Amino acid sequence: MDVTANSRAEQAVLRYVAAARPVQRLISATLTQVAGFALLLLTSRSRASLAEGALAGAHEAAMRACEEVRALAVPDIAAHHHHHLRGAAEALLQACTAALDHGRVDGSDHDDALSRTLRASSDHLRTTARLLPGFELVDFGQACCAAHAPKRLLQDVT
Amino acid sequence: MTDYSIWVLEYAAVEKFPFSVMMYGPQHQGTRKLPYAYVLIKGKGETILIDTGYDHVAYGEQLATAYGVSNYHGPRDVLAECGVSPEDVTSVLITHAHFDHMGAIHLFPNAKFYVQKSELDKWVWALTLSPEYRFLTGGGDPADIVRAVEAAKEGRMICIDGDQEDVLPGIDVHLAADTHTYGSMYITVRNDGARESEDKWIFAGDLIYTYDNLTGLDAEAPQIVPIGLAVGSQHNLIFASDRMMKSVGGEVRRVIPVHEDRLRTTFPSRLTDKGLQVVEIALAKGEKSRVA
Repeated sequence: MDVTANSRAEQAVLRYVAAARPVQRLISATLTQVAGFALLLLTSRSRASLAEGALAGAHEAAMRACEEVRALAVPDIAAHHHHHLRGAAEALLQACTAALDHGRVDGSDHDDALSRTLRASSDHLRTTARLLPGFELVDFGQACCAAHAPKRLLQDVT
Repeated sequence: MTDYSIWVLEYAAVEKFPFSVMMYGPQHQGTRKLPYAYVLIKGKGETILIDTGYDHVAYGEQLATAYGVSNYHGPRDVLAECGVSPEDVTSVLITHAHFDHMGAIHLFPNAKFYVQKSELDKWVWALTLSPEYRFLTGGGDPADIVRAVEAAKEGRMICIDGDQEDVLPGIDVHLAADTHTYGSMYITVRNDGARESEDKWIFAGDLIYTYDNLTGLDAEAPQIVPIGLAVGSQHNLIFASDRMMKSVGGEVRRVIPVHEDRLRTTFPSRLTDKGLQVVEIALAKGEKSRVA
Protein backbone atom coordinates (compact mmCIF):
# COMPACT_ATOMS: atom_id res chain seq x y z
CA MET A 1 0.00 0.00 0.00
CA ASP A 2 1.31 3.44 -0.88
CA VAL A 3 1.03 5.12 2.50
CA THR A 4 2.60 8.31 1.24
CA ALA A 5 0.06 8.66 -1.57
CA ASN A 6 -2.79 8.10 0.88
CA SER A 7 -1.34 10.62 3.20
CA ARG A 8 -1.03 13.17 0.39
CA ALA A 9 -4.65 12.61 -0.60
CA GLU A 10 -5.78 12.96 3.00
CA GLN A 11 -3.76 16.12 3.42
CA ALA A 12 -5.37 17.57 0.29
CA VAL A 13 -8.83 16.84 1.68
CA LEU A 14 -7.93 18.34 5.02
CA ARG A 15 -6.65 21.46 3.31
CA TYR A 16 -9.87 21.63 1.30
CA VAL A 17 -12.00 21.25 4.45
CA ALA A 18 -10.01 23.91 6.28
CA ALA A 19 -10.38 26.35 3.39
CA ALA A 20 -13.97 25.52 2.48
CA ARG A 21 -15.48 25.60 5.97
CA PRO A 22 -15.19 29.39 6.43
CA VAL A 23 -16.71 29.91 2.98
CA GLN A 24 -19.62 27.62 3.84
CA ARG A 25 -20.14 29.56 7.09
CA LEU A 26 -20.17 32.80 5.13
CA ILE A 27 -22.77 31.38 2.72
CA SER A 28 -24.88 30.06 5.59
CA ALA A 29 -24.86 33.34 7.53
CA THR A 30 -25.56 35.37 4.40
CA LEU A 31 -28.34 33.01 3.30
CA THR A 32 -30.05 33.35 6.67
CA GLN A 33 -29.72 37.11 6.44
CA VAL A 34 -31.20 37.30 2.94
CA ALA A 35 -33.96 34.84 3.87
CA GLY A 36 -34.70 36.95 6.92
CA PHE A 37 -34.89 40.03 4.71
CA ALA A 38 -37.22 38.18 2.34
CA LEU A 39 -39.42 37.23 5.25
CA LEU A 40 -39.65 40.84 6.38
CA LEU A 41 -40.38 41.86 2.80
CA LEU A 42 -43.20 39.36 2.45
CA THR A 43 -44.77 40.05 5.83
CA SER A 44 -44.29 43.82 6.08
CA ARG A 45 -42.72 46.06 3.47
CA SER A 46 -42.17 48.91 5.96
CA ARG A 47 -40.07 46.70 8.21
CA ALA A 48 -38.11 45.43 5.23
CA SER A 49 -36.87 48.94 4.52
CA LEU A 50 -34.96 48.74 7.80
CA ALA A 51 -32.99 45.79 6.47
CA GLU A 52 -32.03 47.21 3.09
CA GLY A 53 -28.58 48.24 4.29
CA ALA A 54 -27.96 44.71 5.47
CA LEU A 55 -29.08 43.41 2.08
CA ALA A 56 -26.44 45.49 0.30
CA GLY A 57 -23.85 43.98 2.65
CA ALA A 58 -25.24 40.52 1.98
CA HIS A 59 -24.89 41.05 -1.78
CA GLU A 60 -21.21 41.89 -1.32
CA ALA A 61 -20.77 38.86 0.92
CA ALA A 62 -22.41 36.61 -1.68
CA MET A 63 -20.08 37.91 -4.38
CA ARG A 64 -17.10 37.30 -2.10
CA ALA A 65 -18.36 33.77 -1.36
CA CYS A 66 -18.61 33.02 -5.10
CA GLU A 67 -15.04 34.19 -5.65
CA GLU A 68 -13.72 32.24 -2.69
CA VAL A 69 -15.47 29.04 -3.78
CA ARG A 70 -13.98 29.38 -7.25
CA ALA A 71 -10.53 29.87 -5.74
CA LEU A 72 -10.59 26.66 -3.65
CA ALA A 73 -8.13 23.91 -4.51
CA VAL A 74 -10.41 20.89 -4.92
CA PRO A 75 -9.08 17.32 -4.64
CA ASP A 76 -11.01 14.73 -6.69
CA ILE A 77 -12.63 13.23 -3.63
CA ALA A 78 -14.15 16.60 -2.69
CA ALA A 79 -15.44 17.44 -6.18
CA HIS A 80 -19.03 16.56 -5.36
CA HIS A 81 -18.91 18.65 -2.20
CA HIS A 82 -17.42 21.55 -4.12
CA HIS A 83 -20.13 21.28 -6.78
CA HIS A 84 -22.80 21.86 -4.11
CA LEU A 85 -20.82 24.57 -2.35
CA ARG A 86 -20.52 26.42 -5.65
CA GLY A 87 -24.24 25.88 -6.27
CA ALA A 88 -25.07 27.31 -2.86
CA ALA A 89 -22.96 30.42 -3.47
CA GLU A 90 -24.26 31.05 -6.97
CA ALA A 91 -27.91 30.57 -5.98
CA LEU A 92 -27.33 32.89 -3.03
CA LEU A 93 -26.01 35.58 -5.34
CA GLN A 94 -29.11 35.17 -7.51
CA ALA A 95 -31.27 35.41 -4.39
CA CYS A 96 -29.57 38.69 -3.45
CA THR A 97 -30.28 40.06 -6.90
CA ALA A 98 -33.91 38.91 -6.69
CA ALA A 99 -34.25 40.51 -3.25
CA LEU A 100 -32.84 43.82 -4.50
CA ASP A 101 -35.20 43.70 -7.49
CA HIS A 102 -38.09 42.84 -5.19
CA GLY A 103 -37.37 45.95 -3.16
CA ARG A 104 -37.84 48.07 -6.30
CA VAL A 105 -40.73 46.35 -8.05
CA ASP A 106 -43.81 44.56 -6.74
CA GLY A 107 -44.92 41.31 -8.27
CA SER A 108 -45.40 37.64 -7.63
CA ASP A 109 -42.73 36.79 -10.24
CA HIS A 110 -40.17 38.39 -7.95
CA ASP A 111 -41.58 36.47 -4.98
CA ASP A 112 -41.17 33.25 -6.94
CA ALA A 113 -37.62 34.04 -8.04
CA LEU A 114 -36.63 35.00 -4.53
CA SER A 115 -38.03 31.93 -2.82
CA ARG A 116 -36.81 29.59 -5.58
CA THR A 117 -33.22 30.82 -5.40
CA LEU A 118 -33.24 30.80 -1.60
CA ARG A 119 -34.50 27.22 -1.66
CA ALA A 120 -31.83 26.21 -4.18
CA SER A 121 -29.07 27.74 -2.07
CA SER A 122 -30.43 26.14 1.09
CA ASP A 123 -30.67 22.70 -0.54
CA HIS A 124 -27.12 22.88 -1.90
CA LEU A 125 -25.88 24.05 1.49
CA ARG A 126 -27.62 21.25 3.30
CA THR A 127 -26.00 18.75 0.93
CA THR A 128 -22.56 20.14 1.75
CA ALA A 129 -23.33 19.48 5.40
CA ARG A 130 -24.11 15.85 4.64
CA LEU A 131 -21.16 15.07 2.35
CA LEU A 132 -18.25 15.84 4.65
CA PRO A 133 -17.95 16.02 8.44
CA GLY A 134 -17.33 19.39 10.00
CA PHE A 135 -19.82 21.28 7.83
CA GLU A 136 -22.82 21.16 10.16
CA LEU A 137 -25.17 24.10 9.69
CA VAL A 138 -26.76 24.44 13.10
CA ASP A 139 -24.78 25.22 16.22
CA PHE A 140 -26.61 22.90 18.58
CA GLY A 141 -24.20 23.79 21.36
CA GLN A 142 -26.03 27.09 21.70
CA ALA A 143 -29.49 25.60 21.29
CA CYS A 144 -32.05 25.27 24.02
CA CYS A 145 -32.46 21.54 24.20
CA ALA A 146 -28.95 20.49 23.31
CA ALA A 147 -26.89 22.85 25.39
CA HIS A 148 -24.74 19.99 26.57
CA ALA A 149 -22.07 18.42 24.48
CA PRO A 150 -19.97 15.83 26.24
CA LYS A 151 -18.61 14.34 23.03
CA ARG A 152 -17.77 17.70 21.56
CA LEU A 153 -16.06 18.81 24.74
CA LEU A 154 -14.03 15.63 24.64
CA GLN A 155 -13.06 16.32 21.03
CA ASP A 156 -11.99 19.80 22.00
CA VAL A 157 -9.64 18.38 24.61
CA THR A 158 -8.06 15.66 22.49
CA MET B 1 -67.56 24.13 29.53
CA THR B 2 -64.24 23.00 28.11
CA ASP B 3 -63.66 24.37 24.62
CA TYR B 4 -60.45 22.62 23.64
CA SER B 5 -58.90 19.21 24.08
CA ILE B 6 -55.22 19.62 24.83
CA TRP B 7 -52.42 17.07 24.68
CA VAL B 8 -48.67 17.34 25.12
CA LEU B 9 -47.11 14.88 22.68
CA GLU B 10 -43.57 13.64 23.13
CA TYR B 11 -41.74 13.05 19.85
CA ALA B 12 -38.16 12.35 21.02
CA ALA B 13 -36.11 12.60 24.20
CA VAL B 14 -32.71 12.95 25.77
CA GLU B 15 -32.66 10.30 28.47
CA LYS B 16 -29.86 11.87 30.50
CA PHE B 17 -29.90 15.64 30.28
CA PRO B 18 -27.75 17.66 32.71
CA PHE B 19 -29.96 19.33 35.28
CA SER B 20 -27.60 22.30 35.33
CA VAL B 21 -28.92 23.40 31.93
CA MET B 22 -32.54 23.20 33.03
CA MET B 23 -31.95 25.58 35.92
CA TYR B 24 -29.44 28.38 36.18
CA GLY B 25 -27.06 27.66 39.02
CA PRO B 26 -27.15 24.10 40.33
CA GLN B 27 -24.02 22.41 38.94
CA HIS B 28 -23.11 18.74 39.29
CA GLN B 29 -26.62 17.66 40.27
CA GLY B 30 -26.99 14.78 37.89
CA THR B 31 -29.30 14.32 34.96
CA ARG B 32 -32.99 14.14 34.12
CA LYS B 33 -34.91 12.90 31.15
CA LEU B 34 -35.68 15.78 28.78
CA PRO B 35 -38.62 15.00 26.51
CA TYR B 36 -38.98 16.89 23.22
CA ALA B 37 -42.66 17.60 22.71
CA TYR B 38 -45.23 19.82 21.07
CA VAL B 39 -48.76 20.67 22.12
CA LEU B 40 -51.88 19.68 20.20
CA ILE B 41 -55.02 21.76 20.79
CA LYS B 42 -58.25 20.63 19.16
CA GLY B 43 -61.68 22.21 19.22
CA LYS B 44 -63.89 25.01 17.83
CA GLY B 45 -63.17 23.73 14.33
CA GLU B 46 -59.43 24.26 14.76
CA THR B 47 -56.50 21.87 15.02
CA ILE B 48 -53.67 23.86 16.52
CA LEU B 49 -50.08 23.04 17.36
CA ILE B 50 -47.75 24.91 19.62
CA ASP B 51 -44.39 24.50 17.84
CA THR B 52 -43.55 22.05 15.07
CA GLY B 53 -40.68 19.98 16.40
CA TYR B 54 -37.65 19.48 14.18
CA ASP B 55 -36.85 17.81 10.90
CA HIS B 56 -35.18 14.50 11.68
CA VAL B 57 -33.98 14.07 8.12
CA ALA B 58 -31.83 17.16 8.53
CA TYR B 59 -30.39 16.69 11.99
CA GLY B 60 -31.31 13.25 13.28
CA GLU B 61 -27.96 11.54 13.09
CA GLN B 62 -26.07 14.56 14.37
CA LEU B 63 -28.42 14.98 17.32
CA ALA B 64 -28.39 11.30 18.14
CA THR B 65 -24.63 10.87 18.11
CA ALA B 66 -23.53 14.17 19.62
CA TYR B 67 -26.32 14.87 22.09
CA GLY B 68 -28.01 11.58 22.86
CA VAL B 69 -31.40 12.48 21.38
CA SER B 70 -33.28 9.23 20.88
CA ASN B 71 -36.59 7.75 19.81
CA TYR B 72 -37.55 10.44 17.28
CA HIS B 73 -40.86 9.95 15.55
CA GLY B 74 -42.31 12.28 12.92
CA PRO B 75 -45.57 14.18 13.33
CA ARG B 76 -47.55 11.69 11.25
CA ASP B 77 -46.88 8.96 13.80
CA VAL B 78 -47.10 11.22 16.83
CA LEU B 79 -50.32 13.03 15.91
CA ALA B 80 -51.97 9.75 14.92
CA GLU B 81 -52.09 8.89 18.62
CA CYS B 82 -54.80 11.58 18.83
CA GLY B 83 -56.46 10.78 15.51
CA VAL B 84 -54.92 13.76 13.72
CA SER B 85 -52.71 13.99 10.61
CA PRO B 86 -50.25 16.79 9.76
CA GLU B 87 -52.57 17.88 6.94
CA ASP B 88 -55.34 18.49 9.50
CA VAL B 89 -53.33 21.14 11.36
CA THR B 90 -54.85 24.56 10.74
CA SER B 91 -52.59 26.80 12.85
CA VAL B 92 -49.18 26.60 14.48
CA LEU B 93 -48.10 29.04 17.20
CA ILE B 94 -44.30 29.19 17.17
CA THR B 95 -42.92 30.05 20.61
CA HIS B 96 -39.46 30.85 19.21
CA ALA B 97 -37.30 30.24 16.18
CA HIS B 98 -34.96 27.52 17.42
CA PHE B 99 -34.56 24.43 15.28
CA ASP B 100 -36.52 22.15 17.60
CA HIS B 101 -39.51 24.50 17.74
CA MET B 102 -39.84 25.71 14.15
CA GLY B 103 -37.78 23.16 12.28
CA ALA B 104 -40.65 21.31 10.61
CA ILE B 105 -42.80 24.01 9.00
CA HIS B 106 -42.75 22.06 5.73
CA LEU B 107 -44.46 19.08 7.34
CA PHE B 108 -47.71 21.02 7.91
CA PRO B 109 -48.80 22.02 4.41
CA ASN B 110 -52.17 23.53 5.31
CA ALA B 111 -51.27 25.42 8.47
CA LYS B 112 -50.89 29.11 9.14
CA PHE B 113 -47.89 29.97 11.32
CA TYR B 114 -47.80 32.68 13.96
CA VAL B 115 -44.51 34.07 15.23
CA GLN B 116 -43.45 37.24 17.01
CA LYS B 117 -42.19 40.01 14.74
CA SER B 118 -39.29 40.80 17.06
CA GLU B 119 -38.13 37.18 16.98
CA LEU B 120 -37.51 37.52 13.26
CA ASP B 121 -36.41 41.16 13.17
CA LYS B 122 -33.76 40.84 15.83
CA TRP B 123 -32.48 37.56 14.52
CA VAL B 124 -31.93 39.15 11.13
CA TRP B 125 -30.19 42.03 12.88
CA ALA B 126 -27.98 39.67 14.90
CA LEU B 127 -26.89 38.03 11.67
CA THR B 128 -25.44 41.30 10.49
CA LEU B 129 -22.95 41.14 13.36
CA SER B 130 -19.53 39.60 12.91
CA PRO B 131 -18.92 35.90 13.64
CA GLU B 132 -17.72 36.40 17.22
CA TYR B 133 -21.34 37.25 18.10
CA ARG B 134 -22.68 33.95 16.80
CA PHE B 135 -23.91 32.93 20.26
CA LEU B 136 -26.81 35.27 19.55
CA THR B 137 -27.94 33.27 16.55
CA GLY B 138 -27.16 29.75 17.76
CA GLY B 139 -29.85 27.10 17.45
CA GLY B 140 -31.20 28.64 14.27
CA ASP B 141 -31.17 26.85 10.93
CA PRO B 142 -31.04 28.83 7.66
CA ALA B 143 -33.36 26.25 6.09
CA ASP B 144 -36.08 27.10 8.61
CA ILE B 145 -36.07 30.74 7.56
CA VAL B 146 -36.14 29.73 3.90
CA ARG B 147 -39.19 27.56 4.62
CA ALA B 148 -40.75 30.47 6.49
CA VAL B 149 -40.25 32.58 3.34
CA GLU B 150 -42.10 29.96 1.33
CA ALA B 151 -44.96 29.94 3.85
CA ALA B 152 -45.04 33.76 3.79
CA LYS B 153 -45.23 33.74 -0.01
CA GLU B 154 -48.32 31.56 0.34
CA GLY B 155 -49.77 33.94 2.93
CA ARG B 156 -49.31 31.38 5.70
CA MET B 157 -46.77 33.19 7.89
CA ILE B 158 -48.22 35.79 10.23
CA CYS B 159 -46.06 38.09 12.32
CA ILE B 160 -47.50 39.23 15.64
CA ASP B 161 -46.30 42.41 17.27
CA GLY B 162 -46.40 41.94 21.05
CA ASP B 163 -49.31 40.68 23.12
CA GLN B 164 -52.46 39.81 21.21
CA GLU B 165 -55.77 38.51 22.48
CA ASP B 166 -57.86 35.98 20.57
CA VAL B 167 -55.27 35.20 17.93
CA LEU B 168 -57.47 32.15 17.71
CA PRO B 169 -60.75 31.88 19.60
CA GLY B 170 -59.99 31.96 23.32
CA ILE B 171 -56.24 31.83 22.71
CA ASP B 172 -53.96 34.76 23.55
CA VAL B 173 -50.24 35.17 22.88
CA HIS B 174 -47.80 37.18 24.98
CA LEU B 175 -44.39 38.50 24.06
CA ALA B 176 -41.60 37.73 26.53
CA ALA B 177 -39.03 40.02 24.97
CA ASP B 178 -35.30 39.48 25.36
CA THR B 179 -35.59 36.32 27.41
CA HIS B 180 -34.63 32.88 26.11
CA THR B 181 -34.63 34.46 22.66
CA TYR B 182 -35.35 37.96 21.38
CA GLY B 183 -39.02 37.42 20.72
CA SER B 184 -40.08 34.33 22.64
CA MET B 185 -43.78 34.11 23.27
CA TYR B 186 -45.99 32.13 25.59
CA ILE B 187 -49.56 31.15 24.94
CA THR B 188 -52.67 31.31 27.10
CA VAL B 189 -55.62 29.05 26.37
CA ARG B 190 -58.79 30.30 28.12
CA ASN B 191 -60.49 26.98 27.97
CA ASP B 192 -63.89 28.21 29.11
CA GLY B 193 -63.78 31.03 26.54
CA ALA B 194 -64.32 33.65 29.24
CA ARG B 195 -62.26 36.82 29.27
CA GLU B 196 -61.76 36.43 33.03
CA SER B 197 -61.20 32.73 32.66
CA GLU B 198 -61.25 30.26 35.49
CA ASP B 199 -59.79 27.54 33.29
CA LYS B 200 -56.55 28.96 31.92
CA TRP B 201 -53.60 26.97 30.67
CA ILE B 202 -50.31 28.57 29.82
CA PHE B 203 -47.81 27.05 27.40
CA ALA B 204 -44.41 28.40 28.25
CA GLY B 205 -42.27 27.44 25.26
CA ASP B 206 -38.70 27.42 26.54
CA LEU B 207 -39.21 30.21 29.07
CA ILE B 208 -39.13 27.38 31.59
CA TYR B 209 -37.90 23.81 31.17
CA THR B 210 -39.31 22.39 34.40
CA TYR B 211 -41.77 23.25 37.16
CA ASP B 212 -38.67 23.73 39.33
CA ASN B 213 -37.99 26.96 37.43
CA LEU B 214 -41.18 28.31 38.98
CA THR B 215 -40.73 26.96 42.50
CA GLY B 216 -37.02 26.48 43.08
CA LEU B 217 -35.71 23.34 44.75
CA ASP B 218 -36.42 24.25 48.36
CA ALA B 219 -40.09 23.77 49.23
CA GLU B 220 -39.58 25.78 52.42
CA ALA B 221 -38.38 28.82 50.47
CA PRO B 222 -39.90 28.91 46.98
CA GLN B 223 -38.26 31.08 44.36
CA ILE B 224 -38.21 31.56 40.61
CA VAL B 225 -34.98 30.20 39.14
CA PRO B 226 -34.50 30.88 35.43
CA ILE B 227 -33.30 28.41 32.83
CA GLY B 228 -29.61 28.36 32.03
CA LEU B 229 -29.77 29.71 28.49
CA ALA B 230 -30.79 33.20 27.41
CA VAL B 231 -29.79 35.66 24.70
CA GLY B 232 -31.80 38.21 26.69
CA SER B 233 -31.53 38.29 30.44
CA GLN B 234 -32.20 36.19 33.50
CA HIS B 235 -34.02 39.23 34.87
CA ASN B 236 -36.51 39.15 32.00
CA LEU B 237 -36.94 35.38 32.32
CA ILE B 238 -37.76 35.73 36.01
CA PHE B 239 -40.39 38.41 35.42
CA ALA B 240 -41.90 36.55 32.47
CA SER B 241 -42.22 33.52 34.77
CA ASP B 242 -43.81 35.73 37.39
CA ARG B 243 -46.36 37.01 34.84
CA MET B 244 -47.25 33.49 33.81
CA MET B 245 -47.67 32.39 37.42
CA LYS B 246 -49.82 35.37 38.36
CA SER B 247 -52.00 34.80 35.31
CA VAL B 248 -53.05 31.38 36.66
CA GLY B 249 -53.35 32.50 40.27
CA GLY B 250 -50.13 30.81 41.29
CA GLU B 251 -51.32 27.33 40.31
CA VAL B 252 -47.99 25.97 39.12
CA ARG B 253 -49.33 22.94 37.22
CA ARG B 254 -51.24 25.24 34.85
CA VAL B 255 -48.00 26.64 33.43
CA ILE B 256 -46.93 23.86 31.10
CA PRO B 257 -43.24 23.30 30.33
CA VAL B 258 -43.17 20.84 27.43
CA HIS B 259 -39.72 19.59 28.39
CA GLU B 260 -40.91 18.56 31.88
CA ASP B 261 -40.90 14.77 32.27
CA ARG B 262 -43.18 15.04 35.32
CA LEU B 263 -46.12 16.13 33.14
CA ARG B 264 -46.85 12.40 32.77
CA THR B 265 -47.41 12.07 36.52
CA THR B 266 -49.11 15.44 36.94
CA PHE B 267 -51.78 14.72 34.31
CA PRO B 268 -53.38 11.57 32.90
CA SER B 269 -50.94 10.02 30.46
CA ARG B 270 -50.14 6.97 28.38
CA LEU B 271 -46.96 5.44 26.99
CA THR B 272 -47.45 4.54 23.34
CA ASP B 273 -46.10 1.37 21.74
CA LYS B 274 -43.35 3.60 20.30
CA GLY B 275 -42.25 4.54 23.81
CA LEU B 276 -43.58 8.11 23.65
CA GLN B 277 -45.71 9.83 26.27
CA VAL B 278 -49.15 11.23 25.48
CA VAL B 279 -50.18 13.65 28.23
CA GLU B 280 -53.80 14.75 28.38
CA ILE B 281 -54.19 18.24 29.80
CA ALA B 282 -57.86 18.80 28.98
CA LEU B 283 -60.69 17.08 27.16
CA ALA B 284 -63.46 18.96 25.36
CA LYS B 285 -67.02 17.72 25.45
CA GLY B 286 -67.54 14.91 22.97
CA GLU B 287 -63.84 14.19 22.53
CA LYS B 288 -62.65 10.78 23.58
CA SER B 289 -59.72 10.34 25.89
CA ARG B 290 -56.47 9.37 24.20
CA VAL B 291 -54.88 8.07 27.38
CA ALA B 292 -57.61 5.84 28.81
